Amino acid sequence: MPLQRPLRDQFDWGLFVAVTAIALVGVVNLYSATSAAPNALREIYIQQIYWLVLGAGVAVLVASIDYRYYERYAWGGYVAGVVLLMLVFLLGREVRGAQRWIPVGGFSLQPSELMKVFFIVAMAKHLHDDPRTEGRTLKDLIIPALILALPMSLILAQPDLGTALILAAIFGSIMFLTPLKLRSFLTLVVSFVVSAPLTWKYLLKDYQRARMVSFLDPKSDILGDGWHAHQAKVAIGSGGWTGKGFLQGTQNQHRFLPDQHSDFPFSVWAEEHGLVGSIALVLLYTTLILWGLKIAADAKDRFGAVVAVGVSSLLFWQAVINLGMVCGMLPVVGITLPLFSHGGSSVLTVMIGIGLLMNISMRRFHF
Amino acid sequence: MTLLSVRREVGELRKRVKWMALIVLIGMALIVVRLIHLQIIDYELWATEARHNIEKHVRLPATRGLLLDSHGNPVAKNRPAFNVYVTPQLLDNEDIEHVARLMSLDATQKVDLYDRIRAVPERRRSQLVEMFTDINRDQLAALETHGRDLPGVRVISVPVRTYPYKALAGHTIGFVNEVSAEDLQRHPERGYRAGDTIGRSGIEAAWEGYLRGHDGELTLVVDVRGDEQTGPHRQLREQRREPIPGRNLKLSLDMDMMRAAERAFRGHPSGAAVVVDVRTGRVRALFSKPGYDLNEMSAGLTHERYAEIEGNPFRPLIDKTVYESYFPGSTFKPISALAALEDNILTTATRFECPGYYELGKRRFRCSHVHGEVDMRSSIIQSCNVYFYRLAEVVGLDRLAKFSRDFGLGAVTGLGINTEASGFVPTREWYTKRHGDQYRLGFTLNAAIGQGNTRLTLMQLAMTYAAIANGGTLYVPQLVEAVLGPDGTVIEELPPRVRRRASIKQEHLAYVIDALYGVINDPNGTAYDARIEGGVAVAGKTGTAQVSWRKPTEGDDPKRAWYFRRSHAWFAGFAPADHPELAIVVLIEHGGQGGKYAAPVATKILQEALGEEIPVKPEGGGKTIATRGSR
Repeated sequence: MPLQRPLRDQFDWGLFVAVTAIALVGVVNLYSATSAAPNALREIYIQQIYWLVLGAGVAVLVASIDYRYYERYAWGGYVAGVVLLMLVFLLGREVRGAQRWIPVGGFSLQPSELMKVFFIVAMAKHLHDDPRTEGRTLKDLIIPALILALPMSLILAQPDLGTALILAAIFGSIMFLTPLKLRSFLTLVVSFVVSAPLTWKYLLKDYQRARMVSFLDPKSDILGDGWHAHQAKVAIGSGGWTGKGFLQGTQNQHRFLPDQHSDFPFSVWAEEHGLVGSIALVLLYTTLILWGLKIAADAKDRFGAVVAVGVSSLLFWQAVINLGMVCGMLPVVGITLPLFSHGGSSVLTVMIGIGLLMNISMRRFHF
Repeated sequence: MTLLSVRREVGELRKRVKWMALIVLIGMALIVVRLIHLQIIDYELWATEARHNIEKHVRLPATRGLLLDSHGNPVAKNRPAFNVYVTPQLLDNEDIEHVARLMSLDATQKVDLYDRIRAVPERRRSQLVEMFTDINRDQLAALETHGRDLPGVRVISVPVRTYPYKALAGHTIGFVNEVSAEDLQRHPERGYRAGDTIGRSGIEAAWEGYLRGHDGELTLVVDVRGDEQTGPHRQLREQRREPIPGRNLKLSLDMDMMRAAERAFRGHPSGAAVVVDVRTGRVRALFSKPGYDLNEMSAGLTHERYAEIEGNPFRPLIDKTVYESYFPGSTFKPISALAALEDNILTTATRFECPGYYELGKRRFRCSHVHGEVDMRSSIIQSCNVYFYRLAEVVGLDRLAKFSRDFGLGAVTGLGINTEASGFVPTREWYTKRHGDQYRLGFTLNAAIGQGNTRLTLMQLAMTYAAIANGGTLYVPQLVEAVLGPDGTVIEELPPRVRRRASIKQEHLAYVIDALYGVINDPNGTAYDARIEGGVAVAGKTGTAQVSWRKPTEGDDPKRAWYFRRSHAWFAGFAPADHPELAIVVLIEHGGQGGKYAAPVATKILQEALGEEIPVKPEGGGKTIATRGSR
């Protein structure tokens, strides 16, 4: 096909640069975040590099196979993901009262992370196969809702409220792509308002409720549940305009930041690099996410567009909820900052997503 | 799928993706706004909290100032005591056993140690908790030698106040102890903290502001667990503000003289003595017996021990030199005599006949002996009451009162420590108020011989006799001569302060002083037996003051009852008689006759204080005095 340009000319440099920048800054920040930690933790940034390299390899692999091939196996992937989630309950090991990991060889796999990608692909497949343009009714939402409900309920049972919420947010974002009848929309809103108090009362665990309470009234228990959130705010606020300097963050160096490598790495970054560094990082994420949305808009088919929107919304919701939580705008839920937080499953998942974006971007001119 | 529908769908999708991009921008903008709020607007707040997080303030206590006597000997100083602190988190049972072994604890002490470590609440388990105070030398040596393998145990040296003279001058020096919750609450502006030392009585309390000094502070950089950090944080170095030690005070007290007083009081269970320098009003000795050991008071008394001290019938807790007032008895007579002379009521030539009593209406006022015909001088020497009854009749109560006040009696002297009694000098008006119109001349007669309702403190009387000795200058008694820096340099000299000058003719003073000399040196004198042959020439007046009738209370030991009905023995005077240096007042509670019991104590003290300084025994005191009087 003469019209087609060779793939390597269509490499999406913008996407590559944004991802690389975030990943590099993330590794540097992890080095600082764990520099005052006990020995075992201090090696974490090296692990992260391994994961990023592995992730990059996977991303290249994912990008090099035409994504329409994935469309064919979408359901297979979805089922595999759900099976892994079920295996968690059989093989999983319990950490801090939650079963989220499956031991695989020397490390732990977090199936709920991978599920995000399988879920996005499955949703794309469903919408691709059901290409209607008129407004959808509630009946049309039954199947997508089931696609969400199965993994989400498994994840909630672990329990992992954060990941479940992300899944729901991705679902909402994807469904936003297709028109919904006004009546159906109103019905959804009403049923949410009704179910929220019931969820609070019956579905949430005690520690989840405690976190919500301490978020709504941070002074209520500054040494208990509000402590994480409070010390993160102290770290960020004391960063000022330009921060305290690399490896000079007192909150971090003197170990006032718990989970500084998993859920709270941004507090380390903001403390050491101040408002200037923080805004730079926020801009990097914004660029990456908007780039992903642009890929969605330019995608040559519905499947590609939905997958791109799914991956972009994954990046957006995780970033905005994590930053909001670290800044004390949202309650503390265990949600990682993509490419910034330490964690193999998280890095792999994001890199697969990036691979998909690259894939869709490179093939936008193919027909 | 037609091309048209595909186009429309693509258009719809792009529109919706644009909406999504807007949501992304809004979300990220919210984060940026929040960051600006945290990092710029509220920066100070968070920066302060971040700094507080990593700072630990360790107080460097100021050394309390020393109290030095007039020779420079310390009467209150500090010695290091060693306290043992533990960090419960870092101790396992093996460590506790080790500590118990090193400190040679017995079984019960060990159990107690375990209990106390276990009782430390969770939030304090990572901090230092005091376990033992003031451990002995052996324990210290053992802990210092073997304590290195016990990171959870620390020995910290803290200063402890000690009083080398124990009970001597105890009421005057005072003691310290730990601030109470009440102190902290009542005076938050003084900046005391729990565990601080505060002066409780005497000079320690009155001069607290000088003695205390200012605590320093060590600011350490710590991590979240409070562990010290030695990390490379350029802007965070440990800072040290050195403590400023308290001022040392040089006292006018002479502890050698105090020792002399202590020796002279042997055999007398209860009494007091004051010695002041007549030339300056500086207090050389303030002795009140019995006393209490300041070291014991500072360390804190058990309830039993406190009850024992408080139940002592000789009242060790009372400072008998200033807190208690007494009938002065015949030691008051020189004041009456001076009042009569100064207002020209009587002359030195006036003579009265003493038949051993004086009848006033139906009442008969007694005298100690039948003195025969006496003039003012011989009536002072022999302490004839009749002469003074007759004197009182013509002088009158109010003139006596005015004169007493002129010499500082019946008012606080301004010593400045402890609670000082003002005493009381009655006036006609007071009697009229008290007894309606039933004022009787008898009150005046009693007042003239220091009985009735006249009450004075030893301190007042000493200042009065000093004024008689120095030509009429009434000084404010002074205990602190100078404020010294830690190296001994004088920071502030405190000059003598004159309270008033009594308007009195020198010839009258000379006449009375001559009489006072006779009290000790004339063979008829009431204190003739107390004179020290060849010793310091002492002038003074004895007194035997009847005690107010004391209601026998239940539980009184009948064997003791006679004692508490006995008169107080007084002696007030000065020496050397011809060029006075020291004035002295001695009171022996329930001692009996002043001449027999109090005067020898006074002469002994004066002899020890001045003995070596007077090389030649004065030849015929009368002549010396005459020389002086003719001046």
